[in-house]
Amino acid sequence: MDLTELIVEILVMPMIAFLVGLVLVLMMRKVRARVERRIGPPFLQPLYDIIKLYSKHTQISHGVMMDIAVIMVLGGVITMEVFLPVPGMNGLALQGDLLTLIYLMMVPSLGLALGVGACANPNGSIGISRALTAMLAYDVPFIIAVAGVSISYGTTSLPEMIAIQQAQGVQSWGVASVPLLALAGIIAMHAMLGKEPFEIYVAPAEIATGPMVEMSGKYLGTLFVMQSFQLYAIGVLYTNLFLGGGENWLTFLVKVFAVVFVSVAVTNVFPRYKTDDVLRWLWKWPTGIALAGLAVVMLNA
Amino acid sequence: MIGLDALVGLALLTVLVMFALGSRVWAGWAGLLLYALQLGILVAAGADLSAGDGVLTSSLSLAILGNELRWEMSGLGWYFAVITVGAALFTSWYAAGEWGRAQPGMRLFHTALAANVLAMLVLLASADLLSLFIGWELVSWASYLIMTQRGGPAAAAAYRYLLYAMAGAMAILGGLVLVQVELGTLGFAAVRDGLAGAPDGFVWAVMLLLGAGFAVKMALVPFHLWQGEAYGETPGPAAAFLGAISSRMGLFALLIVLVDLIGLARLMEMAIPYTFLDARDLWAWMAAITIIVPTFVALTQNDARMLLAWHGIGQGGYMLLGLMVGTPMGAAGGLLHVFNYASYQAPLFLVVTAVAHRTGTADLDRLGGLITRMPLSYVTMLLGIIGLAGLPPMNGFVSKWLVYKSLLDAQMPLLFVAAVVGTLGTILSVYKLIHNTFLGQLRMEHAGIREVPWSMTAPMLLLGALAFISGFFPGLALDAVDVAQRALGVELLPHHLGGVYTATGSLNMLWVVGVLLAAIGVGALIFYFGGNRSYHTHQLDNYAGGHFLTSKVQYHYSHDFYAGLMRLIRPWYRGSVQWAERGLVSLANLLGTTMHGFYRTAYTPIYLLVAVFIGLWMAVAS
Repeated sequence: MDLTELIVEILVMPMIAFLVGLVLVLMMRKVRARVERRIGPPFLQPLYDIIKLYSKHTQISHGVMMDIAVIMVLGGVITMEVFLPVPGMNGLALQGDLLTLIYLMMVPSLGLALGVGACANPNGSIGISRALTAMLAYDVPFIIAVAGVSISYGTTSLPEMIAIQQAQGVQSWGVASVPLLALAGIIAMHAMLGKEPFEIYVAPAEIATGPMVEMSGKYLGTLFVMQSFQLYAIGVLYTNLFLGGGENWLTFLVKVFAVVFVSVAVTNVFPRYKTDDVLRWLWKWPTGIALAGLAVVMLNA
Repeated sequence: MIGLDALVGLALLTVLVMFALGSRVWAGWAGLLLYALQLGILVAAGADLSAGDGVLTSSLSLAILGNELRWEMSGLGWYFAVITVGAALFTSWYAAGEWGRAQPGMRLFHTALAANVLAMLVLLASADLLSLFIGWELVSWASYLIMTQRGGPAAAAAYRYLLYAMAGAMAILGGLVLVQVELGTLGFAAVRDGLAGAPDGFVWAVMLLLGAGFAVKMALVPFHLWQGEAYGETPGPAAAFLGAISSRMGLFALLIVLVDLIGLARLMEMAIPYTFLDARDLWAWMAAITIIVPTFVALTQNDARMLLAWHGIGQGGYMLLGLMVGTPMGAAGGLLHVFNYASYQAPLFLVVTAVAHRTGTADLDRLGGLITRMPLSYVTMLLGIIGLAGLPPMNGFVSKWLVYKSLLDAQMPLLFVAAVVGTLGTILSVYKLIHNTFLGQLRMEHAGIREVPWSMTAPMLLLGALAFISGFFPGLALDAVDVAQRALGVELLPHHLGGVYTATGSLNMLWVVGVLLAAIGVGALIFYFGGNRSYHTHQLDNYAGGHFLTSKVQYHYSHDFYAGLMRLIRPWYRGSVQWAERGLVSLANLLGTTMHGFYRTAYTPIYLLVAVFIGLWMAVAS
């Protein structure tokens, strides 16, 4: 693949991610609305929100670090998308594997944490402390699932994992070959999205939305953009690891939407766990399931 | 080729110059010059070493016990020596300006630093086990000197280190005696052949004795209790020097014993009876526990220096773990981590020293909001913590990636999970460090402080830049690692300027960092041109409940930063190793009191008894 194709892919992949992400945000809001017996916002509402926030006249910043941090968030999520292979476009997935992707996914969170710290509002700092604690909680089953999947496929290169699953059919998909790891993976990814019952880092009624407390205008708009990229990234990552990727965009998008639908549907019927309860629960059940799945993989390996 | 004699001679000259002239104002700059010369010699020699199987030889040799005692520096020693002299260079630079002028007793500081460098060079140039032991003792005493120079709590912690080090040295001496008695020789090549033919029991004994002694210096769990306080309480940039490289001397010696003399193949054959584990698993799991436990102890620390010192203990675990995997990638990751760790730990310690220099405290509960007062220090700490956490684009990510990938390729998932859990704990802990120091609300008593001068910020920023550049172009550092890896007898890892290519997953930092920087640029464009201009509020312009806050109101979240997490895991801190240490101390006290009493009361009758016994024996024997 020559350089121009690669450059084109690097430019196109984040744009597709943003557009699909907007539709995923819309799905999230429509599902919540239907659960609450409402109709929900119109189709372009997520886009309207972002445009509105960016075009606000009052944009309050708490210092250069807050600006830099928000830029770091944007840069991090765009980079993350370039390393996620999608049907027809591998992007840079051959230059950085699954481990690289997982660590790249932490860069925007770090940027956000630094920006929130610069806001000098304790509500934000408490929110970040809880968010990092939740990260410690959900990353343990997630990393066990990643280890098991890597050993099961014998590679950490995402395009290769997709190729293996597509070559050998549905019985080699992650959900069929390593079902316990797939189950632990979906729970961990749900926690990664920060949805109820793992929504303690936001906790609107307790800590005034935590990290977002001092973010308004284009800062909040950037966080909205980050949310749409994140929904897309989690959905695509789970699809690539466990649902066989996508032969074409139609089947691929159906799978991605299905994965995200599970998350945003479940989230509407749960209250939230306290911080130490998040740790206790995530270190008990998904970790136990993931360890059992890992044991199965090692016995078969 | 400039030989080892010139290098060690220059180091000795540095010690003498510092001893004679260390109290002068320009002593730090003189030290900087001398260390730069030493580094120049090393870099020049590096070109020769990487050409082939070369060593730097010394002309000094002694004959003892039928063995020839020689000194020569192989590629492995060269690699550690470059890091040592580089760390000393930056330490001396930092101490050369305002910081040094504000301290008492700088002559001892500079002399101790130079003595450490000399001792470490002698250790790294050992060509047989006896010269290794001589170098080891020199390094132990030099470390004690640099820790205890200021007195106070550092001296107490240094004394604890001394006891640990002496116990370790006795274990090493025991191992040496065993080797000499059984194999009749102490030279590396001969010992390697002898161990290959020796029975498992003998190799176990040698490995445990020598390994335990070297593990004390490296602070492997359970020998790690001394290092947190000892490195944390050492004043100023000396802590940066110690943290960067001093405990890696233990790693150097441990690698010689485990990887070079015994060899990983043999370690994997030595099974632990009644278990499915072997000696290699023992060391790998000790390394994994060293990654996890000290990192989570660091999470509980409120003193910034202690936090960094405990992280230093934890990062050593990654180095040993990578080397115990046995693959070229794992070994490269472990060795690269030694350099990467030094490049981000040293600036972190220097930043904390700078903050303590300006504010008078390193207590994380008493700082906050310093980002507007000390922005360059903030940038350094930011680069340092991204490196320590092992996130792209810094170099810490590359070495950790190599270790993780090698563990997955070798199908050791539990060790992989342990390594990642250590990284997660590190991320939490370093965020607390930077948040409590630089972010959040500024205290009124710190409202007037200024940034530290260029003599202090320049070395910090340069080290941070070094960490970033070796992350962007990891091939450069990996070339140096090749020299060390070849000398250790491990196969080399094929790599290119940007990283590593393998069929099952590659890493190309050129693309990763390049795209990240480009994306940040795009983000900046969207941010600045997509929205309206932002209005920057003053740092102290805070409101709560709709009411303006005066500067006297503490509106800062820093104490017990991870309250939820600690509520769960604080009961898990059992202090088992401290309990064991207390038990050993009580036992030693008991034995000491018993022997003392026995000696005092039975003095004369014992002599009489011994004299009668000897007389009778001579009478019977003749």
